[in-house]
Amino acid sequence: MAPPDQSHRSPSPSQPSGTARAESNGTGNSNSNPKSNPNFDSKGEVSDLKMQLRQLAGSRAQGTDDSKRELFKKVISYMTIGIDVSSVFSEMVMCSATSDIVLKKMCYLYVGNYARYNPDLSLLTINFLQRDCKDEDPMIRGLALRSLCTLRVANLVEYLVGPLGSGLKDGNSYVRMVAAVGVLKLYHISSSTCMDADFPVTLKHLMLNDPDAQVVANCLCALQEIWSLEATTSDEASREREVLLSKPVIYYLLNRIKEFSEWAQCIVLELVSKYVPTDSNEIFDIMNLLEDRLQHANGAVVLATVKVFLQLTLSMTDTHQQGPGKLFIVQGQHQGPLQDPQHYLHPVQVYERIKAPLLTQVSSGSPEQSYAVLSHLHLLVMRAPILFSTDYKHFYCQYNEPFYVKKLKLEMLTAVANESNTYEIVTELCEYAANVDIPMARESIRAVGKIALQQYDVNAIVDRLLQFLEMEKDYVTAETLVLVKDLLRKYPQWSHDCIAVVGNISSKNVQEPKAKAALIWMLGEYAQDMQDAPYVLESLAENWDDEHSAEVRLHLLTAVLKCFLRRPPETQKALGAALAAGLSDFHQDVHDRALFYYRLLQYKVSVAERVANPPKQAVSVFADTQSSEIKDRIFDEFNSLAVVYQKPSYMFTDKEHRGPFAFSEELGNLSIGAESAENIVSAQRVEANDQDLLLSTSEKEESRGPSNNGSAYSAPSYDSSAPLVASHAQSELVSLDQTLPQAPQASSAFDDLLGLGFAVTPAPAASPPPLRLNAKAVLDPNTFQQKWRQLPVSTSQEGSITPQGVAALTTPQALLRHMQGHFIHCIASGGQAPNFKFFFFAQKAEESSTFLVECIINSSSCKAQIKIKADDQGSSHAFVALFQSALSSFGMS
Amino acid sequence: MAGATSALFILDIKGRCLISRNYRGDVTSVQAERFFTKLLEKEGDVESQGPVRYDDGVTYMFIQHNNVYLMTASRQNCNAASLILFLYNVVDVFRCYFEELEEESIRDNFVVVYELLDEMMDFGYPQYTDANILSEFIKTDAYRMEVTQRPPMALTNAVSWRSEGIYYSSNEVFLDVVESVNILVNSNGQIIRSDVMGAIKMRTYLSGMPECKLGLNDRVLLEAQGGTTKGKAIDMDDIKFHQCVRLARFDSDRTISFIPPDGSFDLMTYRISTQVKPLIWVEAQVVRHARSRVEIMVKARSQFKERSSANHVEIELPVPCDASNPNVRTSMGRAKYAPEKDALLWKIRTFPGNKEYMLAAELRLPSVTSEEAVSDRKAPIRVKFEIPYFTVSGIQVRFLKIIEKSGYQTLPWVRYLTVAGEYELRLI
Repeated sequence: MAPPDQSHRSPSPSQPSGTARAESNGTGNSNSNPKSNPNFDSKGEVSDLKMQLRQLAGSRAQGTDDSKRELFKKVISYMTIGIDVSSVFSEMVMCSATSDIVLKKMCYLYVGNYARYNPDLSLLTINFLQRDCKDEDPMIRGLALRSLCTLRVANLVEYLVGPLGSGLKDGNSYVRMVAAVGVLKLYHISSSTCMDADFPVTLKHLMLNDPDAQVVANCLCALQEIWSLEATTSDEASREREVLLSKPVIYYLLNRIKEFSEWAQCIVLELVSKYVPTDSNEIFDIMNLLEDRLQHANGAVVLATVKVFLQLTLSMTDTHQQGPGKLFIVQGQHQGPLQDPQHYLHPVQVYERIKAPLLTQVSSGSPEQSYAVLSHLHLLVMRAPILFSTDYKHFYCQYNEPFYVKKLKLEMLTAVANESNTYEIVTELCEYAANVDIPMARESIRAVGKIALQQYDVNAIVDRLLQFLEMEKDYVTAETLVLVKDLLRKYPQWSHDCIAVVGNISSKNVQEPKAKAALIWMLGEYAQDMQDAPYVLESLAENWDDEHSAEVRLHLLTAVLKCFLRRPPETQKALGAALAAGLSDFHQDVHDRALFYYRLLQYKVSVAERVANPPKQAVSVFADTQSSEIKDRIFDEFNSLAVVYQKPSYMFTDKEHRGPFAFSEELGNLSIGAESAENIVSAQRVEANDQDLLLSTSEKEESRGPSNNGSAYSAPSYDSSAPLVASHAQSELVSLDQTLPQAPQASSAFDDLLGLGFAVTPAPAASPPPLRLNAKAVLDPNTFQQKWRQLPVSTSQEGSITPQGVAALTTPQALLRHMQGHFIHCIASGGQAPNFKFFFFAQKAEESSTFLVECIINSSSCKAQIKIKADDQGSSHAFVALFQSALSSFGMS
Repeated sequence: MAGATSALFILDIKGRCLISRNYRGDVTSVQAERFFTKLLEKEGDVESQGPVRYDDGVTYMFIQHNNVYLMTASRQNCNAASLILFLYNVVDVFRCYFEELEEESIRDNFVVVYELLDEMMDFGYPQYTDANILSEFIKTDAYRMEVTQRPPMALTNAVSWRSEGIYYSSNEVFLDVVESVNILVNSNGQIIRSDVMGAIKMRTYLSGMPECKLGLNDRVLLEAQGGTTKGKAIDMDDIKFHQCVRLARFDSDRTISFIPPDGSFDLMTYRISTQVKPLIWVEAQVVRHARSRVEIMVKARSQFKERSSANHVEIELPVPCDASNPNVRTSMGRAKYAPEKDALLWKIRTFPGNKEYMLAAELRLPSVTSEEAVSDRKAPIRVKFEIPYFTVSGIQVRFLKIIEKSGYQTLPWVRYLTVAGEYELRLI
């Protein structure tokens, strides 16, 4: 870093207790805003200022600068507290013809604030700013340039180009540093002016050659933003964007990493984390080079380094043909820095290495800092719970910590719980439940419940929960009831113990709707085990009008019916009361349900029995609120807000504000696939409705509960039906495959399966390609996305598809199967007639070189647009030919 | 950093904007003010929801310092951890300039605040947040009297944290080894968590470009070398160094060599998570006679060698929030009732090692309690203390060699101090 050498450096005008205070005191109370003070005559003051400034403007007397400073300072503080001082604009500009840097700075501040709203006035400014851009003092040159670029007036951009151009070539690094960011500012005001002046090229040159690290960093920031914004419209830009991620650039930046300021290091590391190394040696080199960054005092650098390590590890697991996120965990203690690169062979070692610095940050920094770090740890823990299972004590809560930190710590404790530490963790949680404040107690009880649902040491936990019920604190009882209900749904075998205790709880002591609903559900479900269930329900039904929550009333209806079906004589009265009240209920759902039950019973009691009391299976896993796809996406965005919000960034940023290298949207939506689009919706819905679906008693879960074993997540059940794609991740992604019958790998059988009646064409044999593709190629979506981002487009052309092909394209699956026959695999597809979009990939038979294809088919014009990216550019032409022939043979007999 | 910040605001305690810098012009201060005042209105929200909030497409991150809030706003997916840290660095810089950061000092120094905000962040990207560097080109009046103009730094400055040409007539270095002990004891008297956060803090007043080399005792070194010293090796979990330390040399031969910045800084920080015996143990017995009084008997014991002693010991004993009229007797020190904390504060000026002191207190309870049961916020006993000339870990500075080409002599001053960090005993 180099603050410019200042030929006439002069002190800045501020003083710890100077006139500024006196002024604001002058109006009475120093804290009161003069604007809101009725006694403050701002108009008079301002015109007074104007007069004085005008007098000083022409004066060359000794000490003029000092009096100017006082006046300027007054103007600035008026401006800051919101008084409109724009009327002195011309006087300010006149006065700023000075060599005093402090006066200049204040004038720039003033001008920057008002020029935007007075474009006419700003023309005045441009002139003197341009002149200052040529000042002999580099500080003034830099400041003037910065102010010039922050004017943000669109019709003045033409005046920016000249100063920016010379600024980028300036001999002083301060000016270049300002100019680099200035280019980005210009781009945001008028992208065409910026591109026409060829500034990005100059920036790139500076980035790769400038001796000052901050200049390099600022160039990098500017280029990242410019190229990724341009990339949507220009192929050249997207190529340039890839260049930033190319080996020479990455290595150049890595070699200079120690020169950068801490924040610039973060930016470089963020870029490095996107880089895909070609082999494991490279991975080791980078890791060894960055190893000491983990010891940096700045936590942001540490986190950025952690991200690099994680991403490198991911690509390493990929090369080993393991699914992402399926890290094999071996318990092992690692101490001290790693000397031997071979240590890194195992991702576990990487996790072990990054663990200590992360844990330090949890307990050392500010609460806000630990909040951010804990969010990241939580993400890691979800991937590899066992890794932190011995460090659970780091997540014990301190009494004085803010609730947001405690809450995350509870989540951590829940996540790291396993057989060996459950006892200690639950003991600690019970202490919170008994001791600390109410929200904390509630969260702790929920945490205990979540651990219980994870199946560890359930026995002891059930006892604890029952102890909670005996504590006789309303909020504890309420939370526990909800939990016991969930536990019973998962472990019906505990019903006997639980019911004995639950039966003793008076429904009068339970007021919270969720808890009440849980209690009522248990009364209905275990009516035969609870002596007085019908009578409790009866009294509840009689007090129908006192119950304000529709959820509780719905549950009450169902519970009464269930109870009636088991113990008719005792419940008859309650049922009558409930149905009568339900039928006249003002809530539509309650009314409908009551009517439904009424008619059901009228129709046939046995049918009602089947509806209300079907045999139930225990719930094995509760619905996870987030799909694994979304979790992976969040993981890709490690060290960003996505982790804190637990949503991928596209859910909370506008399109134009996605960061550099933000995930390309089209690919994103497609790769989530038809089915997963629903997942997002459901994730959002869940988010909106209810943070903890796990604990909710809401109706929809109730009805979904028993059936949701299969559909949402249990990947294994797909296995048999999704033979085309090897990895689990894919089988979830490529929803299309689910509907496929068993499809053998051999190509000849495919066409039969299509059932469209055309003759078998042994396609690969028909045109013996010079290029042989791997029949069982495997690529996981993450790698695909990464590669897609990074590889340049090697070929982009129009293809055609036969009318027969279009006819066969009634569903995209047909094409997929066809291409599969040519060993070109689909990773994602989407769209509706007439436009279909497919992402394919293929691998060479002998080596792991991959081809990626984006293919857009318009079925009305029989055209296909094909974009191909290849690891190995040389063979891409051969592949294009192969792809084209495969495509054109689609639907042909 | 993944994304850029749109704007930075400094707000007063009521959420009104004192001063702001709008780097990108896509979040207005009116918008931010509206968001933040709404946030503050809902009491407890700040506490429960955390410092990173989303509102209408904008992510706000804020921290509080004294009576001001510092807040960033961003429309992009930026880096949460790093921005929060950035805000804390901004606080540090302001404190360096104005002694203390509060509403008053902001109001008095609008111009410097603007200047600093402009240099610390440009178009939403953090630039320099090092007060040493910033003070090179943003001056306050405090610097006005300075006669010697420092020559400009070299363009490609290899030592960005130190300017050339610093001169002191007497060259001095102060080293403070400070360890803060965190202890958590549960209601059964078990230590459930204990760790030590250590720091070697340095204050240097050295001329020129001094080359320093720090030697620590063998225990630390051997352990770091991966040697298996039996018995009392110091097992450091995580060592961090100031950017001036040559990490490559530390990795290869375990020497800590560096050119220090001028003034005070943390040379090295470390964390040790081996179990330590609580240095001061406090036990309390509480007898509650409902609706009349509560009796508390407390025993405090120091569990370190006689030759050390703890200073400024303060034991915070929680009492029921509706208690009154305390009657306290102590065998040492003085106890005071602090109703604002619902606690008795027992202060003992010096607490020698291996001693035991007692406190007995009786407080009145109201004979009538309100119907809504007062929830028992069972707070833990908390202890503060300082033990000079003592470190829990046993870390020791063996030598600090300072070599400068002008060849001056200097003597380092070393102090050791152990303090209580988060020291909580849930024994009441």
